[in-house]
Amino acid sequence: MFALIKLIQSLFGALHSEGTPGQLAAGIVLGSFLGLTPLFNLHNAVIFAALVLLNVSFAGGLLGWALFVPLGFLLDPLFDWIGHDLLLAPSLRGLWTSLYNTPIVPLTNFNNTVVLGSLVFALVFAVPLFFAIRWAVARYRVTIGERVRQSRFYRAVTASKVYNVYKMFRP
Amino acid sequence: MTVKIFRWRAIGPLVVLFVIAGVLWWLFADGIARRESQKVGTQMLGAKVEIQSLHLDLANGHVTIRGLTIASPHEPFKNLLQADELVADLDMLPLTEKKIVIDRIVANGLRFGTPRQTDGRVAAKSGEGIAGRVLAETREWASQFQIAVLQLATGKISIDSLDPRRLSTLPAAAALGARADSSRRAWQAAFDTLRLGPTLDSASATLERLRRARATDLATLNEARQAVDRLRRARDRVTMLERGVKTGVADLQAGLAGLDTARRRDYAFARSLLKLPSFDAPAVGAALFAPGAIKPFERVLYYAQLARRYMPPGLLPRATTGPSRVRRAGEDVRFPKERALPRFLLRSAELSFVLHPTSQQPQRYAGRLTGLTSDPTLYGRPALFGASGPQLVVGAMVNHLRDIPVDTGGATVGGITFPAFEVPGLPLRLDPGASTTELGFTLNGDTIHARLAIRSSNVTWTRDSALANTTIGDLIWHTVSGVANLDVEARLSGALHHPDLAVRSNLDQAIASRLRAVLGEQVAAAEKQVRDRVDALINDKVGPVRARVSQVQTQAQEQVAQQRARIDELQKNLEQRLRQLLGGVRLP
Repeated sequence: MFALIKLIQSLFGALHSEGTPGQLAAGIVLGSFLGLTPLFNLHNAVIFAALVLLNVSFAGGLLGWALFVPLGFLLDPLFDWIGHDLLLAPSLRGLWTSLYNTPIVPLTNFNNTVVLGSLVFALVFAVPLFFAIRWAVARYRVTIGERVRQSRFYRAVTASKVYNVYKMFRP
Repeated sequence: MTVKIFRWRAIGPLVVLFVIAGVLWWLFADGIARRESQKVGTQMLGAKVEIQSLHLDLANGHVTIRGLTIASPHEPFKNLLQADELVADLDMLPLTEKKIVIDRIVANGLRFGTPRQTDGRVAAKSGEGIAGRVLAETREWASQFQIAVLQLATGKISIDSLDPRRLSTLPAAAALGARADSSRRAWQAAFDTLRLGPTLDSASATLERLRRARATDLATLNEARQAVDRLRRARDRVTMLERGVKTGVADLQAGLAGLDTARRRDYAFARSLLKLPSFDAPAVGAALFAPGAIKPFERVLYYAQLARRYMPPGLLPRATTGPSRVRRAGEDVRFPKERALPRFLLRSAELSFVLHPTSQQPQRYAGRLTGLTSDPTLYGRPALFGASGPQLVVGAMVNHLRDIPVDTGGATVGGITFPAFEVPGLPLRLDPGASTTELGFTLNGDTIHARLAIRSSNVTWTRDSALANTTIGDLIWHTVSGVANLDVEARLSGALHHPDLAVRSNLDQAIASRLRAVLGEQVAAAEKQVRDRVDALINDKVGPVRARVSQVQTQAQEQVAQQRARIDELQKNLEQRLRQLLGGVRLP
């Protein structure tokens, strides 16, 4: 329940933050990488660093992470299939062999079917996701955004202590 | 307004975060490595691997493991080995490529076959992973050597019910009957298409006219010659049909012979239901000791097959099950590369271990293992193991350098006390005492050759009280009770999927002759009874089929012979009359 409330708060917080729709969309896209791919991998440290260092919506990142974790679990068989096809493709064998025998690269676990499959999926999915979210946020703000901001529900959500914590990290 | 791309002020907290993560990893690295080692070891061996403590000294490249326990994948409350301490010298640079290269391991205080409190089997219970699959395969392989035990517990021979549906003669007879009917129809159709009637009638009429004709009656002479030609062609057609009939008849007779074979097979099947004891000495040896002898082979094969899975030859990409985690494990694909380091390499291990640790004089041994690697082709040398000491010589070579892997091993161990066991099917318990055991094993590609020999000179026999007063019990007891020596040898050879197992012992001949003396008549009577029952079930079906086949054969052969004779006679008469009329003159 707490997680759900936090998610709703994150959602409203992000939608009504001062960040641009592009910043919010970029944050959600980076968060989607954390959610779609198995978390404890080297590439996710880079993603997390990007989320912190780049001027994107951090709340959007957390929101994207939370939203895409279940999707990641759901799509694991697809990722496994994609990764399997890519790793065992004869035309790519030379590339994988070079990478596998290069220092540091194997620590990314790229040679795991689910890791590679989910990462490739997240990369391909990132561009349409970015533009779709940017458009949707812009539309939301010019249509029903102001009415939602005036609603009791929004005020109740934003009045909680959790929201105050969130405000510390908003862009 | 320009939007800033970087949050420069976040660098500090991020660095702090990463430093905290690094410090936490450093603090808990030993625990993480210990848990990961346990997890990977358990997954690979199919049995629990437990480590009391593990210390990583990355600065010096040392890993120290204390209190290592590896459970047996086959026995629930036994350990495969325990080690007091293992110290490994790690090559640090390959770790950046996620490769583990151990220059040297020193293992102290190894102990084998120690008891444990909990069931340490994993693959045997879950059946998952490579170990689970290999274990299931080797069990399946061992199950083919299920040899019927001697049915001597009461000296009676039980007769199980005989299900007619499991007899092979009945479907064979039905199929042969159908084939006979089909042949009869086919031959009749072929005979009808010959249309011999008009040809023969026309030839007969021509012959009549020829008998009345003169030498100048050219039209009749010409007609007679044409009739002869037609008869020749008809005879050729009959000859062809005759060939077909001969082939078909041979086929039907083969079918009849097949019925006899099927009947013999059914006798054997019915006999197997009776579980009659064989009185041949080799069969007695197999029945007595094969169940026990096959276990060591099964275990060695398990480890050999595991080695083949984890140490495959060649440089092709290899997929193995990925790490277990909340998300799907997927598969880890390895990409070995020429002149690169293998994924895992143990260059050398020095082992010191103790046998009979609980005895007053535990025996200490030393061994050496070299070249254990996940990619033998890259390492270029086979893995070798050797150990020796008082009453022990062990050697093994795992050679997976070429496409056809060769795994060999041999061991001679003296002074091992085997537990006492019930002799299968006999009212006896055998305590082999301290024995000398020899085991040899070669798995060359898919060909196996293995030998197990157990020798003991202080065997003790105990009699089952339930059979104290039976004739059989007395006879067997008198046969073996005075025997103090035991000499058992089991040999396995042939294609791995179905090798031949031969087991002999010094008791075989004695027990076999006693059995023959006591149970011979009873077994012969039971066998006759079995044959009678099989005959009663199949004779009703087989008899009519035999008669039908015989009738079809006779009918077809007679029909062909009759028509052929008529053709030959007409042709002969026509040609004779023509010769008379022409007097040797050939017409144009």
